[in-house]
Amino acid sequence: MKKFLLASSMLIASAFGAEAQTINILMESVPDTRYVQEMLPEFKEKTGIDVQLEVVNYAEMHTKLVPQLVAPEGSYDVIIVDFYWVGEFTKAGWLQPLDERIQADEFPVDNYIPSIMDLTGKVDGTTLMLPFYNYAMGLTYRKDLLEDPKHQEAFKAKYGRDLKVPTEWPEYLDQVKYFSEDAGIEGFKGVVNQGQRPDPISMEWSNYLFANGGRYYDPETWQPTLATPEGIAALTQYRDSIQKYGPIGAANFSFDDAFNVAAQGKAYSYLTFNMFRPVYDDPASSQVVGKMEIAPVPGGGMNGSWGWAIPKSSPDPDAAWEFIKFIESPEIAKKRALLGGAATQKQIYEDPELIEKFSYYPQLGELLAYAQNFPVFTYTPEFVDVLGRELSLAVADGKDPKEALEQVDKDFAELLRKDGKLQ
Amino acid sequence: MTAAIAQRDRWFGFAMTLPGLLALLLVVLFPILFTLWTSTSDFTLLKPSNDAFLGLSHYTQAFATPEFRHALSVTLAFVVAVVVLEFLVGFAVALALDKVEHGKAVYYVILLFPLLMNPIVVGLIWKMFLHPTLGIVNYVLSLVGIPPVDWLGVPDNAFWTVVAVDIWHQVSFMIVLLLAGLAALPKEPYEAARLEGAGTIRCFFWITLPLMRPVIVVTLLIRLIFAVKTYDIIYIMTRGGPGQATELVSYYIYRRAFVGLDVSQASAMAVILLLVVLALTAWLHRYMRSLAQ
Repeated sequence: MKKFLLASSMLIASAFGAEAQTINILMESVPDTRYVQEMLPEFKEKTGIDVQLEVVNYAEMHTKLVPQLVAPEGSYDVIIVDFYWVGEFTKAGWLQPLDERIQADEFPVDNYIPSIMDLTGKVDGTTLMLPFYNYAMGLTYRKDLLEDPKHQEAFKAKYGRDLKVPTEWPEYLDQVKYFSEDAGIEGFKGVVNQGQRPDPISMEWSNYLFANGGRYYDPETWQPTLATPEGIAALTQYRDSIQKYGPIGAANFSFDDAFNVAAQGKAYSYLTFNMFRPVYDDPASSQVVGKMEIAPVPGGGMNGSWGWAIPKSSPDPDAAWEFIKFIESPEIAKKRALLGGAATQKQIYEDPELIEKFSYYPQLGELLAYAQNFPVFTYTPEFVDVLGRELSLAVADGKDPKEALEQVDKDFAELLRKDGKLQ
Repeated sequence: MTAAIAQRDRWFGFAMTLPGLLALLLVVLFPILFTLWTSTSDFTLLKPSNDAFLGLSHYTQAFATPEFRHALSVTLAFVVAVVVLEFLVGFAVALALDKVEHGKAVYYVILLFPLLMNPIVVGLIWKMFLHPTLGIVNYVLSLVGIPPVDWLGVPDNAFWTVVAVDIWHQVSFMIVLLLAGLAALPKEPYEAARLEGAGTIRCFFWITLPLMRPVIVVTLLIRLIFAVKTYDIIYIMTRGGPGQATELVSYYIYRRAFVGLDVSQASAMAVILLLVVLALTAWLHRYMRSLAQ
């Protein structure tokens, strides 16, 4: 009897032991998560580890993550980190360094596009994350109109330059003006903007800032530099885009409000996240199938990405690393990209098979190479909140652009001082 | 003997209510006390613990923050607008429905529909309807020759649009409560008044209103407290914009805690909001009672 009890308890113990090889990951409900989901059976086959994905909306993620990160042992083995949170998460010391694991397994980190590695990879020389997917912004525009000889002629006559994919910012602004005022298409606008507070407007306006040669802060001293001629020009142009050249209501448009206007064929251009590019070719949500194309924003667009990380509170860091190593291996990264994933590794944008499938891949690669980063520090989310408020006041409520940007500089400096970045 | 029974009944009553009372202590009193404690401390999401006693500094800082003061004033305007308008519309509809003889249940069901919907869904639906170029509302207006309206992209419009959506969503709450009150009114005073030759308007002002006062007080109070907490439709429809036109205080406090990471500061603001609501409630209650006497 004793032996029987011992044997059965060992059996139970081993059954529990096998079940312990399950890792939990909190993810956002976006297409890239779906592509990860499709890779899980292969991971299970290779390693025997089960993966439980908890998929929630973006708005819920931060609130769900923080209590788990603070706890000595949380419930998530792997987490994904938006570049917004990198400053906060590293300041709080919630993430495990990955360098030793990378070295031991000779993981090819050099594959990553450097600007994305800077955003959601290395922090002050330590690798805390591996980039997962990117959401850099690009210029989506109506290719068919750009190639129409009638418009090419009329544009050249009025603006004295060729109508082509813009490589200079003023060239793009002329095109916006032309399609709003001179092209003679009823109810059609040169641009649609996403003017809602706080993220949509802040992210989109960053493109205008970079395109005008402006920047958020002096990289040497962290001194804010928005209330400069470049910044003021960027905000004035942005206000004009919304108030003069865009559809009514753009001052409160979120991503999808603005995207729908472009996808319904009511605007010539929309500066947006590159992952929306394939959606233009989906007849279920677009009236402009085959008519939209994406190009880098002249002057360099705004970068964005998510990274994989192992929290210090991870119950099973080794299994967590196994998963990250698998899902980010060049082979699986390519499989995810073939499904439509927004890749972060260089070789994917040069892969003949992928270029064959997605004609816009070379432009995407170029776009990512020149994308510029938003300030990353502990209080990035609060900074976005302040920036969004002031930009919206300038765009929709008549606040003078210079005054608005001076207020942003002031609040930005205060947050940087609180973070110890600015003396 | 009877005293002993009464004593036993009292103990039995205590025992029966104890679990409920304990649950209330746990889910109401404890969070309030913890919020009070946190509001005088240094709790942030980067350092989630109460370590230092900072006194009332978060309170003085709250009032020194222009955005918080602005959010309070927008909230006041919003609450007054929705409560007054919903009351007027709700009372009018309730009076009309009170006279309905047949099919009351049908009206009830139709009226209750919006109330059964989650505010997030209400916000999403209306945002879609009110999309200036693709929404159905502007399309219908265009059929009768009215140019498209920028419902949410202009500060003044956005404020009144949010008020209107809230009214659409919540007015049935007023209707249902007021209708229940009207149905419970005694018939005799009306009969007496009619015999004395009083008309509908006199009956309304001299009988209905005075008799309905307690119901009205309760309805207004509940609606007022809920209106102060409005958050969901702002989050979905405007995020406090454009500019700062729809910056309601509960949305602002949420952002102090979860975007600004400053839980102590947010707690102080929440306590201020609680005190404002309590004061409003007490004042309204007294005022209505004094009217009744």
